[in-house]
Amino acid sequence: MTTTATTTATPAQGADRAPVVSFRQVSKSYGAVRAVADLDLELYPGETVALLGPNGAGKSSTLDLLLGLRGADSGSVTLFGTTPQRAIEQGRVGAMLQSGGLMEGVKVKELVRLARDLHPRGYPLDQIMATAGITDIADRMVDKLSGGQEQRVRFALATAGAGDLIVLDEPTTGMDVSARQTFWGAMRRQAQEGRTVLFATHYLEEADEIADRVIVLHRGRVLADGTAAEIKARAGARRVAFELDGPIDREALHALPSLTSLEVSGRTVRIQSHDADATVHALYGLGLYPHHLEVSGLGLEQAFIALTTASDAAPATAEEAAR
Amino acid sequence: MTTLIKLEIIRALRNKKFMFFSVIYPPALYLLIAGGADSKPIPGMKLDMALYFMVSMAAFGAMTAVLLGNSERIAKEREKGWVRQLRLTALPGRGYVAAKMAAAATVSLPSILLVMIVAAAVKGVRLEAWQWFAIAAGTWLGSFVFAALGVAIGYLATGDAVRPISMLVYFGLAFLGGLWMPLTILPQWVQNIAEWLPTHAYTALGTAVEAGEAPHVKDMAILAGYLLVFAGGAAWLYRKDTRKA
Repeated sequence: MTTTATTTATPAQGADRAPVVSFRQVSKSYGAVRAVADLDLELYPGETVALLGPNGAGKSSTLDLLLGLRGADSGSVTLFGTTPQRAIEQGRVGAMLQSGGLMEGVKVKELVRLARDLHPRGYPLDQIMATAGITDIADRMVDKLSGGQEQRVRFALATAGAGDLIVLDEPTTGMDVSARQTFWGAMRRQAQEGRTVLFATHYLEEADEIADRVIVLHRGRVLADGTAAEIKARAGARRVAFELDGPIDREALHALPSLTSLEVSGRTVRIQSHDADATVHALYGLGLYPHHLEVSGLGLEQAFIALTTASDAAPATAEEAAR
Repeated sequence: MTTLIKLEIIRALRNKKFMFFSVIYPPALYLLIAGGADSKPIPGMKLDMALYFMVSMAAFGAMTAVLLGNSERIAKEREKGWVRQLRLTALPGRGYVAAKMAAAATVSLPSILLVMIVAAAVKGVRLEAWQWFAIAAGTWLGSFVFAALGVAIGYLATGDAVRPISMLVYFGLAFLGGLWMPLTILPQWVQNIAEWLPTHAYTALGTAVEAGEAPHVKDMAILAGYLLVFAGGAAWLYRKDTRKA
């Protein structure tokens, strides 16, 4: 299984419409490190897309290329049919970067007004502040904000005007649970207004709950692309858990068909299997009587780990082997 | 763009410590150097020490505020990622440079005026009204050249390298341009270099006025040329800045 073979481009919706974002064979290296390798990617209007990947998978590099903050070594990146820089100048893109600092020595209100005035189609100031939930800290100095408040100010900067695409890099880092919920509530409204939302995150439950399309990046390539349910199904495995009376014969359990992992703790047995039906059938065939039998799908997190570790175990691509 | 310019000026005014030292230090240095000088003309010039150093210290003070202030602040803003965020807006490169220059000019104007007031009050410098006005305006407008240079340095250098580089440029230009001592008492080779430096052209604006003449066209052309190069370079670097710094 190579990384490219697992790529499935199944945009959830709007495949007939012109893409908002289009990456064609984009590569970017830093010295000997290939951060992005021949990446092909298209985002369509109205999609809410989560970008997942382990650290170093190329998420931040991909977002930098998308926003024109870095230039690609080869390939082309287009936004709304033009260059990232032009699209940004036209005010079509709002972005909230992890690495994006804030201007110091000014009040929150002053900074948001600046973002609004720089935007060709800026919203009324009060509206931006209310949407981002920062009305109460309007007169606070930017230097004196907590991590979560800073994130909300960044969100206000990203949504200060009428754009078509919102790009968010780890947007909820530093927010507590309720702030996170408020944030995604605001984000959903943005999506309902027809905007395309692209976010990179470490929190897989966010991707599961919010995104209608999930893209898994690994080693600078698209490893999987589909709905959260499809990704979970693609990972293949299901979990089988049960309890057994008497001594447990690990050898016999290990020999069960389709089994990919086995974990025994006390009387409890947990199995991952890529064909749960066959595994359970064989389990009864051993003459065992499992109690409290549970068969469930993997969470997105386990699916994600299964996908990336499977890719790591697979033979490297030709060029990587050549290094 | 005007919002950014206004905001940068507000920030400069709010930064009271930097404002205070930038404004106090040029007149203090003026008194230190020219304080005990007599009213004999400097060899090779029509001006005495009190007059010569009024212009050169006003220029030096303005240059300190705009060059050192800008380069360090910009390098810091790049490190913090604010410039990255700003590049995701429709702001053109020239807007950023213009705002930084406006903020610098806010600090340099009071320091220029204070040197002139001290020169008149303490050293009894007397000039025609048009001369006072022309010197203040010329020194203030000339400081824009160094403000642009400060922006460019803030973009060329990163982190720890900013201070040594801006210091080197700052002291080099100040010395070779005759800001610390009249060029006529320096060796000929220094004078030959100085003739083409922005700092020399900068003080020459004021000293020409003090001597009762109009500023020389050559000096104004040199300053305009440097302004174009520095500001253009700074705007280009702002747009091309693809390093995270």
